[in-house]
Amino acid sequence: MSAKVLLIDDDSDFRAAVKSLLESHGYQVLEASSGHEGLQMVLEQKPDVILLDLMMESTVEGYGITYSLKYRDEFAEFRQIPIFMVSSVEESPDERFPMSAEVDLIRPDRYLTKPLDIPKLLRLLEEAIGAAKNVAV
Amino acid sequence: MDPTAKTGTDALETVVVIDDDYAMRFSCGKILAKMGLPAETFEDGARGLAAVAAAKPAMVIVDLKMPGMSGMEVVSRIHEIDPQIIIVVITGYATIDTAVQAMKSGAYDFLPKPFSPDELRMIVNRGLERRRLALEAQRHEIEQTMLKRRFVTFVSHQLRTPLVAIHQYLDVLRHLDGSADDPARRQEWLDRCLKRVEELQDLIADWLTLARVEGGALVKERVKVDLNQVIPGILKSYEATAAAESVSLEFFFPDGPVLVAGDRNCLSVLFDNLITNAIKYNKPGGKVTVSGARSQGEVVIAVADTGIGIPEKYRPFLFEEFFRVKDDLAKKATGTGLGLHISKRIVTEMGGAIEVASEPGAGSTFTVHLPAWREPEAAAGSPDAEQTAIINCR
Repeated sequence: MSAKVLLIDDDSDFRAAVKSLLESHGYQVLEASSGHEGLQMVLEQKPDVILLDLMMESTVEGYGITYSLKYRDEFAEFRQIPIFMVSSVEESPDERFPMSAEVDLIRPDRYLTKPLDIPKLLRLLEEAIGAAKNVAV
Repeated sequence: MDPTAKTGTDALETVVVIDDDYAMRFSCGKILAKMGLPAETFEDGARGLAAVAAAKPAMVIVDLKMPGMSGMEVVSRIHEIDPQIIIVVITGYATIDTAVQAMKSGAYDFLPKPFSPDELRMIVNRGLERRRLALEAQRHEIEQTMLKRRFVTFVSHQLRTPLVAIHQYLDVLRHLDGSADDPARRQEWLDRCLKRVEELQDLIADWLTLARVEGGALVKERVKVDLNQVIPGILKSYEATAAAESVSLEFFFPDGPVLVAGDRNCLSVLFDNLITNAIKYNKPGGKVTVSGARSQGEVVIAVADTGIGIPEKYRPFLFEEFFRVKDDLAKKATGTGLGLHISKRIVTEMGGAIEVASEPGAGSTFTVHLPAWREPEAAAGSPDAEQTAIINCR
């Protein structure tokens, strides 16, 4: 079965481009246009990797989603799903919340900038899914 | 809103008194206590400073002439601890020069001995008031800096979003070339890229207009403008767009000129925004009605549509920068989120008002009130009236 990538992004054009790209490389792609929809889809579809947009609806919603997925009880069984946070604004959580101990609570597994570097994205996805498979075995 | 935003009036403002004279410490302490200010008293500079460092009081009252560490040294050390502490120095008549010197090194004021309780109270109240204002100003400055930073991040995100979408499409197209190219998809993506380029162009155009309106450059000009000419011109330019959306345009104005004092460009931007919104958020078969009236020194223009309407919960935010209604119905229309903000700025700068009434599912009406044009008295009726007005207002 092909690996499932969940794309959470409020820009439908960005989703369309990335979806076609990943599908051409054999991934199954799920789309969500908001954080709420994305969390719902995690529960229902159990993706293998999440590509999460940081700024949706003009807020840094991506951080809240990361926190939910990593720490909220209802997502306990999905805690290991790697989160790749994607943003066009070059600002990591450490830059945004300097010196806050809580930064660790919203730290994604990877931080990628938009537009995505295609070879790099494909390589990282392969690594992440490969690693997950090894754990499962 | 923010509990920390409360000013010093609510926070406990403590006062430290440093004086080697017991009677002085005692009476100062008593007066301050009566004023409701917690006071701590110390008999020498070293102990006083230690307390200042620990308690960070709002104010320190210090005698300049003390054995051991001099009052002058205490003054200069206090501001190393916290520059916002208000320092009042107490001095005998013989040492006014020293008092002046103390003020040069940062003391707020001085009290010459002997002084009355009233004098002390007055100087303490003045000093604390001054500190509150300074703290308020500082807080305001920090807020402004934060706001600006967040704003810059936000705007760069707004500008980058369409660029990123275009870039990603092109990048993926190049990557897929040969292997999984699909002509239909390619065409669709190119169309989307063009749409996003337009979005970017609109955003930059709106952004520039806003900057100009905010700078006051556009609105300062007050010339006689006839809305009975401007608005039909705008409506005409949108005939094709409206027809494509199956929306009809109607215009009801009284006969003769409907004059306001303003900048022609700004007024065009204003009504252009309202009319495009009325078309964009309409329904097929719908109607846009622009009506005007003169009424008691003002001109009232209403732009009404029969569109999707605006849910009540969004109405308070409608005129805010970058605000866009997030409902699915409204989401389909593209926009920069700046149009109504710019419109409101223009109306406000012109001394008018704009309001909205709306019923979800039935339509919205934006009503603009503008001060009517008044002939300058000296030049009334002369053919140079318009020219004179421009010069007067600059």
